[in-house]
Amino acid sequence: MLKVIIIDDDDIMVFLQRKLFQKCGLAKNPITFKVAPAAIDFLKNEDIDQHFLILLDINMPGMNGWQFLDILNKMKISKNVFVIMVTSSIDCYDKEKADTFSNVIDFMEKPISIENCSRIKEHMLLKEFFSA
Amino acid sequence: MQNKYSPLHILVIEDQIGYFILLKGYLNEINVNITISKAISFKEAKIVLQSSNNFDAILLDLSLPDVENRETLVENIVVLAQKAPVIVLTGYADTVFGFKTLSMGISDYLLKDELNLAQLSKSIHHGIERKRVESQLRESENKYRNLFDSSPLPMWVLERCSSRFLSVNAATVDLYGYSREEFLGMSIKELWAGTDDPETEILDLIRKDGFFKLKISHRKKNGEVVHLKIQSNPIIFDGKEARVALANNITASLEAKLALKNSEKRFKALVQDGSDLVMILNFDGNLTYVSPSSKLVMGIHADLLINYNLFEFIHVDDLEQVKESIAMLQIKKRVQIPSYRIKTSKNKWKWIETILTNLYDDTSVNGIVANSRDITEFMQQEKELIESLKRYNIVEKATSDTITDYDVQNDVMHYNEGMELMFGYSKAQISSKGSWWDEKVHPEDTERVKNKVDLIYKKGHGNLQVEYRFRCADGSYKYILDRTYLVTNEKGKPLRMIGSMQDITEIHNYIETIERHNDRLKDIAWTQSHVVRAPLARIMGLIDSLENFEDLDDRAQLLSHIITSARELDVIIRKINSKTNKSISQSRQC
Repeated sequence: MLKVIIIDDDDIMVFLQRKLFQKCGLAKNPITFKVAPAAIDFLKNEDIDQHFLILLDINMPGMNGWQFLDILNKMKISKNVFVIMVTSSIDCYDKEKADTFSNVIDFMEKPISIENCSRIKEHMLLKEFFSA
Repeated sequence: MQNKYSPLHILVIEDQIGYFILLKGYLNEINVNITISKAISFKEAKIVLQSSNNFDAILLDLSLPDVENRETLVENIVVLAQKAPVIVLTGYADTVFGFKTLSMGISDYLLKDELNLAQLSKSIHHGIERKRVESQLRESENKYRNLFDSSPLPMWVLERCSSRFLSVNAATVDLYGYSREEFLGMSIKELWAGTDDPETEILDLIRKDGFFKLKISHRKKNGEVVHLKIQSNPIIFDGKEARVALANNITASLEAKLALKNSEKRFKALVQDGSDLVMILNFDGNLTYVSPSSKLVMGIHADLLINYNLFEFIHVDDLEQVKESIAMLQIKKRVQIPSYRIKTSKNKWKWIETILTNLYDDTSVNGIVANSRDITEFMQQEKELIESLKRYNIVEKATSDTITDYDVQNDVMHYNEGMELMFGYSKAQISSKGSWWDEKVHPEDTERVKNKVDLIYKKGHGNLQVEYRFRCADGSYKYILDRTYLVTNEKGKPLRMIGSMQDITEIHNYIETIERHNDRLKDIAWTQSHVVRAPLARIMGLIDSLENFEDLDDRAQLLSHIITSARELDVIIRKINSKTNKSISQSRQC
């Protein structure tokens, strides 16, 4: 069972992604956070054997996406957490930086489309969670 | 010549009174002015002759009472008689002795028994006359001897057959340093100094009769050599065939001649064979002497050139200057004509430089001496040098760089005017010490500059290019691009560092401005990609939802989200626009 978490400060973006994931069958009820620290707190209390897919926005007030990854990296649950970076614009610098984090499995540009959802479902590491 | 009346004083030494009276009678007849003195013994005669000997003649009887040895008597009387002739009176028995007395210096002998007036008169007069002649001869001989002895010129007498000295005068002794006695044991051959003199020829000349003269070198006792001109005449000396020689010491004049000859040789070497052209001319340029070097300098033989006027060969543009210089010799002894052109045989121009000396007061010259030197090559080099310097100056002026020239060995730095113009230092402020320059480099750059300099010192060659900040007189710093070249000696030891300091402050500031612009543009680009794309992505997502999911029940909410996002986007774009405008206007001000 894969739990899907959306972390983004943009309400409209969260609303849209939530809708899309439900329609595409990616997640019936994704967990959403407007700020990253809330997501950290949430993960601390989760079972370390539970698998998570996080769609993480980079630019956020307070703790940004990178800072979130730094903390996640040190958590026990980290090995079962897959992260897809979601940003309104991709630059090379961001991509290079993402490669240094083992949790990051993909990089997507907003807005996330139906095709993006299909790609997630067929991702090598995620396929098994959607085959059932 | 005695005559009957000239006074006559006769001494008669006779012990027999009878014979005395007889003699007195004769004598009175011989001369009316006669004075007769009488001595009757040798002793008396001696007293008379010693007290006053002014007798014209002495009559001596050999048989005197106080005389035993008649030879002794004759000898004594002859000595006492001095100049007076002694006439001996003898008897028959003494004829042989009487004859013998002639060889003892008496004037005549008469036999008492045969004596007559005529005989006595003749004997007395002959005696007196002979004595007079003898005396004259002696005087003349003395005179000659004096002339020989006191002659200021060396004179000597040689025996002809042996070439040995028979006599030398004082001047000879003075000249040679040998004493008279030493000379008398020597041969003339011992004086000869020359080894290559024709000895036998000279000995032949000495042996032969006749006058000769020759030049010869003799060695003095101290080894010094003297040169002599000798004249020699044959004479009979003490009954021997001899030669009297007169020597003239010509050593000094020979030396003077030699010195003159050497001096002439030197002159020839310096003037005639030298590379300088020497001419003697008058104020109108007419030549009276041209040294052979004219062939070398002008390609014209001296014998030919002398027929011309110097002015004909001088370049028309230079002629006035040469003439002016020559005219100045009227008031100045020596004048130098600066470089001028002179025509050669090939109708080409050569540059020469001349020193003129007015030697009209020297009768052996009687003109202006012109010493000229070919300076064509020098002039060409100078021309090239001037052109090269001009080029250098133009380059130096054309560059706005500060040129540095550092003498590594002596720690002396030279700057062009750039140090004043570029950095504002006054001449008085600029020190030629290397440390003065060092301390003007910005402290943050010092280490880097020092490392670079050390590196080319280590390599021993090459160029150095380094940027640093250099302090101006007003305390501000200028950005400098320094290009320096190291000059080393053949062993690679650093001698000089020649460099240019280019002021790149403007370029540096320009780059800084551009970098600032770049930052701004990056900022804009980032804003565009992140801030602009956030609402745009939202709008795209919303529209995508409206399109794909028709069953949506909250379409109105979606549309409202689209409008909100579009407004947000509008605000952002306006912001970017104003920011960009601001950046452009700033850059225009720069």
